[in-house]
Amino acid sequence: MSSRTANAAQPRGEAFAGSEPLHGPMITTAKPKFKRSRISSRHQEWIAGYLFVLPDALGLLVFLGLPMLLSLVLGLYEVDGFGSYRFVGMANYAKMMSDRLFWQSAKVTALYAVMLVPLLYVCGLGLALLVQKTNRFNGFIRSMFFAPHMISLVVVALVWQFLVVDKIGVLTRLASALGFSGISLLGDPDFALFTVVAVSVWFLMGYYMLIFLGGLQDIPAMYYEAATMDGAGPFARFWYITLPLLKPTSFFVIMISMVAAVAGSQAFDIIWVMTSGGPANSTSVLIVYIYQQAFGFGAFGYAAAMSSILVISLMVLTGLMFLLTRGGRFNYD
Amino acid sequence: MSDKPKLFVPSSWSRRRFLRNSATFAAAGVASGVSGFPFINKLPVRAQDAPLKFWQFYAPGGQVKPQVEWFEKMVADWNDSHEQKVELEFVPNKEYINGPKLATAFASGQGPDVFIISPGDFLRYYNGGVLQDLTPYIDEKARADFPESVLATRMVDGKIYGLPMEVEPMAMYYSVKAFEQAGLNENDVPKTWDELLELGKKLTTPERYGLLFQTAPGYYQNFTWYPFLWQGGGEFQGADGKSAFDSPATVQALKFWQDAVNSGAAPRQVLGNGANDSVANLASGYCAIQNVGIWAISQLKNNAKDFPYGVFRLPTPANGKYVTVGGGWAFVANAKGRNPEAAGQFCAWALASTEQGSVDRVATWCTEAKSDMPPRDSALKAREAAFGEGMIGKFARDIHPGTRAEPRVPPEVYKIISDAIQQTMQGGADPQATASAASQQLDAYLASYSGAPLL
Amino acid sequence: MTKKPSLYFSASQVTLVRLVWMTVAAILALMIIFPLLWMTSISFKTAQDAFSPTLLPAAPTFGNFTYVITEVPFVRYMANSLFVSATVTVVALFFHSMAGYALARLRFPGRELIFLAIFSTLLVSLPVIIVPLFIIVRAMGMLNTYAGIIVPSVFNAFGIFLLRQYYLSLPREIEEAAVIDGAGYWRIYWSVILPLSKPILAALAILFFLANWNAFLWPLTVASDQNLWVVQVGIANFKSEYSAAWNYMMAASTIVAIPTLVLFLIFQRQIMDSIKTSGLK
Repeated sequence: MSSRTANAAQPRGEAFAGSEPLHGPMITTAKPKFKRSRISSRHQEWIAGYLFVLPDALGLLVFLGLPMLLSLVLGLYEVDGFGSYRFVGMANYAKMMSDRLFWQSAKVTALYAVMLVPLLYVCGLGLALLVQKTNRFNGFIRSMFFAPHMISLVVVALVWQFLVVDKIGVLTRLASALGFSGISLLGDPDFALFTVVAVSVWFLMGYYMLIFLGGLQDIPAMYYEAATMDGAGPFARFWYITLPLLKPTSFFVIMISMVAAVAGSQAFDIIWVMTSGGPANSTSVLIVYIYQQAFGFGAFGYAAAMSSILVISLMVLTGLMFLLTRGGRFNYD
Repeated sequence: MSDKPKLFVPSSWSRRRFLRNSATFAAAGVASGVSGFPFINKLPVRAQDAPLKFWQFYAPGGQVKPQVEWFEKMVADWNDSHEQKVELEFVPNKEYINGPKLATAFASGQGPDVFIISPGDFLRYYNGGVLQDLTPYIDEKARADFPESVLATRMVDGKIYGLPMEVEPMAMYYSVKAFEQAGLNENDVPKTWDELLELGKKLTTPERYGLLFQTAPGYYQNFTWYPFLWQGGGEFQGADGKSAFDSPATVQALKFWQDAVNSGAAPRQVLGNGANDSVANLASGYCAIQNVGIWAISQLKNNAKDFPYGVFRLPTPANGKYVTVGGGWAFVANAKGRNPEAAGQFCAWALASTEQGSVDRVATWCTEAKSDMPPRDSALKAREAAFGEGMIGKFARDIHPGTRAEPRVPPEVYKIISDAIQQTMQGGADPQATASAASQQLDAYLASYSGAPLL
Repeated sequence: MTKKPSLYFSASQVTLVRLVWMTVAAILALMIIFPLLWMTSISFKTAQDAFSPTLLPAAPTFGNFTYVITEVPFVRYMANSLFVSATVTVVALFFHSMAGYALARLRFPGRELIFLAIFSTLLVSLPVIIVPLFIIVRAMGMLNTYAGIIVPSVFNAFGIFLLRQYYLSLPREIEEAAVIDGAGYWRIYWSVILPLSKPILAALAILFFLANWNAFLWPLTVASDQNLWVVQVGIANFKSEYSAAWNYMMAASTIVAIPTLVLFLIFQRQIMDSIKTSGLK
């Protein structure tokens, strides 16, 4: 500890004291022995921490934090979209309370998230378990599972639109053959949201599979070996080893998929291309409504106020999750 | 597209300019504390001699070459004879209409100098104060060349704020093959709504819909629905400025589309780009009759050459009279742009000058680049032959007379009407109750509206 | 499954289970890529045939591909996308792994607060902040430049969060050896942490690259110059006023999908390789 050097962010090879890294080629010549820094090792760790975080923190501040702050302020203004700003205080928020479409959109958003998050968890984990073993066949299958994610969402959503179109769509025919004839998967307000959720799951699950695969690789094989020796079957192994040890990954997946469902641009793209929020606003999630208000109506102030509410609700939700899991740390530290 | 893009800096970038901009930005941020909002409109240091930006959606590599070439030739001709140059920039169509590109640019004072808008957008831009008055640049004689009905929705207080480049009336198209299969011919085209619904049911098969209207919510759906509202004498605003939406005409028009869907003759979802796409819906065999505009003529000619089709005008309700709606885009100049004067002159020069070149330009656009009705009488005369024959001739004689211009409404009004159509057509809501509810919302909005009149 | 002696199944049963397992996976995979097969199929259809409800084109044609490559500056769009995506990916992975390392393994005051602040940016999506962001980027003089497309795309809390979670799960002993040897933080990061992060970095590289390769809204908004268009903007341009050239769109998307598929297959192997050599097991 004591011989750590202070400046952690210097380029490689300049500020290194002491001996060799664990990996990589051994460079044993000319070890510069640095003088012990006057800064205490605790402070060195502080400085190192700040410097490591600095580039990202700065970038996020400028390109996300600042716009978000501006957006928050914008919510207090009435904006015409052509450069006129009039301070109106909380008027936009008051308008929201009595805006039927805002509440309708909030309801649709909640429904969408409540369906999407568990489905993504189950499907993502299911696919990961299916192709968990690393071999050539599974490598190929994994790529196929992940393939939807490689195509532009805008184009895939168009293809889906065609697959579920009334009467002649492949899936519509399939439904017909199963006895559900005459249904409109995207054109009926009672079905459209389910269809949109299904396409979202289809598109996103490969992504979550990848994350789960990463998590599964981290579970030491010896646990399974020991359990097998003790006579645990596949289900017991899954229940008593896999699931508990996957907690950090699960935490991440649930949190990210929730954010993706509520504020994600992918959910937006799917809905915007497939239904534009219709029919009869049945798939109009908040982000679609916000987008409409901002870019269709030029009501940037009102849109910003709704965005603020959206972000704040998400903060509360994720904050709760953090509290419950102690920062997603679980058994570590 | 004047020069190659630089890796990290625009051509006019310099360290000093960057610092100046940053300083302006910071200073403006501070100043905004006292006056208005920190979104600064006049930030860019604009050079007077920089070319004017002309935004539209006919980009090279798009589908129809003559359209792109028309724009390119126009700009080249202007640049040959004028000091102030103009430069084309493209925004993909769907983003132009519905995306954030224009809204973002205007909201930050970075809007194009010349651009095109549809009637649906007119009030938003006009009320935002960005439309330049074009009247001073238009010769009195040229102005008389535009029929009043074509200009009306682009005018406020007798001044012209937009110059239409085309008129696109709506009609019904049918597949000759589908008609023949059902033992029908051109004499069987329906005259009334009831006949149309009957025929639609008759032409419906397990593989095909008999009839097709737009189903996706949007300006276009409203646009195609208006004639059915008007045919029964309906309006959304009365002479007293209050909502007139709660009327039998509204109810019957809403019910008409609802019946079409409920009877199984019309789909709840359309193919391709939407119900404005005749190749995806009519030519593909998805429907037998499609409600679509005059542009479908060139669409079918370009992409479904061998597809035999016929056209008839919109049927009317038992108690109604014929009327259809005519859309179309218009050139406008940005009053807050870098040279509104020149931008206005450009618009007038391009579409509304008495010079033969200007007349020819309009005629060429409507005959060669597209298949539209021209907004100028002289252009119609200049190509009498072209507008007299074939399907275009049918439009000119039979369909176009009786065209009412697409109404201009604020986005909020659009949304109220759109929701009413959606709720009845696809949501199965009661037309009367829906019309009443929508009318109340309209009244609430109109009471607080203070902008140019709706038309 | 086959290598370990099973306590439950005989050898032939194991083979059978494995076969069933593989069949299920294969069927699922086919179902999942069905829409993509349809996309590919349309790319071989003519404009009139594009909406026929059959998977196989009636008269397959290469015309769409020829059109996309020769009539449209599509190669230029691809080059732009490649440059933007690769740059963003490399820079982002570098910055994010640094931040993730510090947030997971170093102790400093305000760490949790910084992390929460970073995490909270995850809750903001682009459509919500696009106008203020546009103004900031303009003030920095980056409108209509590659930098304008690239720089704001680099910063994304997602990668930081994923890396932090990953670093939290590494055993402490891994650094301790280095610490005893007296390595500085930079050295620990560079020589110990980074090599151990290969699997996660490979996975993130794919995700970042794909996200930027398929990015649309921001590149469209910030760049008006057609020379700066990325592939997705080029594809969107096949939709004209009244019709969408689906055949061209699908052909273009198929072309665009090929590099990403190849990339995934390559990285996939690297993930496996690095898992074997990372010394975690």
